Amino acid sequence: MILLEVTSPGNVSLVLFFGTIGMLALTIGLIVFIIFHQRKVIRYQLKLQRMEQDQQKLLLNASIRLQEEERQRIAADLHDDAGPLLATARLYLNENLVNLDKTTQLQSIYNAKQIIDDTIQLIRNISHSLMPPTLKNFGLESAVNDLFQKISGSGSMNASSRFHDYRERLQAETELIIFRVIQELVNNILKHSNASFIHLTQNTSGDKFFIRLHHDGRGITQNDFNKLNKSNVGLGLKNIQSRLKVLHGKIFFEKDMSQTYYKVTIELVKEEEDKLQEQD
Amino acid sequence: MWVIFLYCILSLLTEVFYFLLKAQSVYSGFTIIEFTLFSFFFYSSLYEKKFKYIPLIGAVVFYAVAIGSFTNKRFDSLPTSVEAILIISYCILLLYEQINDPSIIFVYNTKKFWVIIAFFLYFSATLFLFIYTSALSEKERSNYWPINNFSEMLKNILFCVSFIMRRNPKRPYAVDSYDS
Repeated sequence: MILLEVTSPGNVSLVLFFGTIGMLALTIGLIVFIIFHQRKVIRYQLKLQRMEQDQQKLLLNASIRLQEEERQRIAADLHDDAGPLLATARLYLNENLVNLDKTTQLQSIYNAKQIIDDTIQLIRNISHSLMPPTLKNFGLESAVNDLFQKISGSGSMNASSRFHDYRERLQAETELIIFRVIQELVNNILKHSNASFIHLTQNTSGDKFFIRLHHDGRGITQNDFNKLNKSNVGLGLKNIQSRLKVLHGKIFFEKDMSQTYYKVTIELVKEEEDKLQEQD
Repeated sequence: MWVIFLYCILSLLTEVFYFLLKAQSVYSGFTIIEFTLFSFFFYSSLYEKKFKYIPLIGAVVFYAVAIGSFTNKRFDSLPTSVEAILIISYCILLLYEQINDPSIIFVYNTKKFWVIIAFFLYFSATLFLFIYTSALSEKERSNYWPINNFSEMLKNILFCVSFIMRRNPKRPYAVDSYDS
């Protein structure tokens, strides 16, 4: 009503006309803005979704390729090592054996036994590479210590590990995933870094479980990791990422404050582990 | 949506009563009922608790103004203007809530959106007309009244759109068109 008081009678029609036009323009403008803004937001969300799908596809491809490589390796081990050994054993135990003299028979049986023992050992090794018995029977701490002792024993690198807070074992599935990730990381360090030492520490903080790996060789930072993850190379790193995704874990690659060491941190939430247990 | 349907029925009955009684108080009374129904619609549509207080406070203000200036002689400019301003504010508020609601993918696929647009356009178009109606002569008023008639028609068309819309459309959103 203040508007009525300030408007002179002659201007009423003009104010009414332009006021109405102005209000309508504002309203229509606002509606159009809302619709276009929403379309823009939806387009952005779709783009994000597509990027996430692409990333998942890359990870899935990496894990399938790795699985195929592992199968090929096992097939090659069986075909190239176990196959010839068993064929040789068969030769020693052929039908003609009964016609030979006793000493030759005993010698052939002894040789065949030796070859069969070697084959058993070979198959055991293949089986251990698929599922380390130390990990299955004694847990992650023992399996990692065992792995690091073997590396140190080779004399090429000083490897040590220390578990500060591992009184209760994690679920077997989780332990295996963490062990595989550690194996992959150690393998990468051995292959690419020229490091003289690797040191692994484990600790917990609240509901979080940490594993840290230090080495003094050439390493990668988080930026390198992200780039490699998006590219078609870095199969091992993608595999690490997809394994950790199962546990809802995180991995960080960084250079130490002193710029001398590279540090890799694996972070897991214990609650997630509990959830996995509940699902089982 | 039954509130809107009830409003449409009452709106029709008001016109009939005004035609029969020729009393301005029919319109004045209808303004109060209309605002009550709209306020109820907004109150039930808003889902954030802090926003739900706004239609309640608005209702208190409106009833005070409407009862204070209830008249049988001339057009009730003040209550209708206050009503228009309040409903425009509620529309902006509800639109804001709707575009921030992650469960709504396309805001214009909801019935509420078309009802809000109907209110928004109707009251925006008629706000200045309602403010100045009491200051206009009979001739001027009849010159400008088509604005109200046209807005009413637009509002009813938009209400119809919301009534005939499917609750769960078979193809709720065409994502393909956003892929480019």
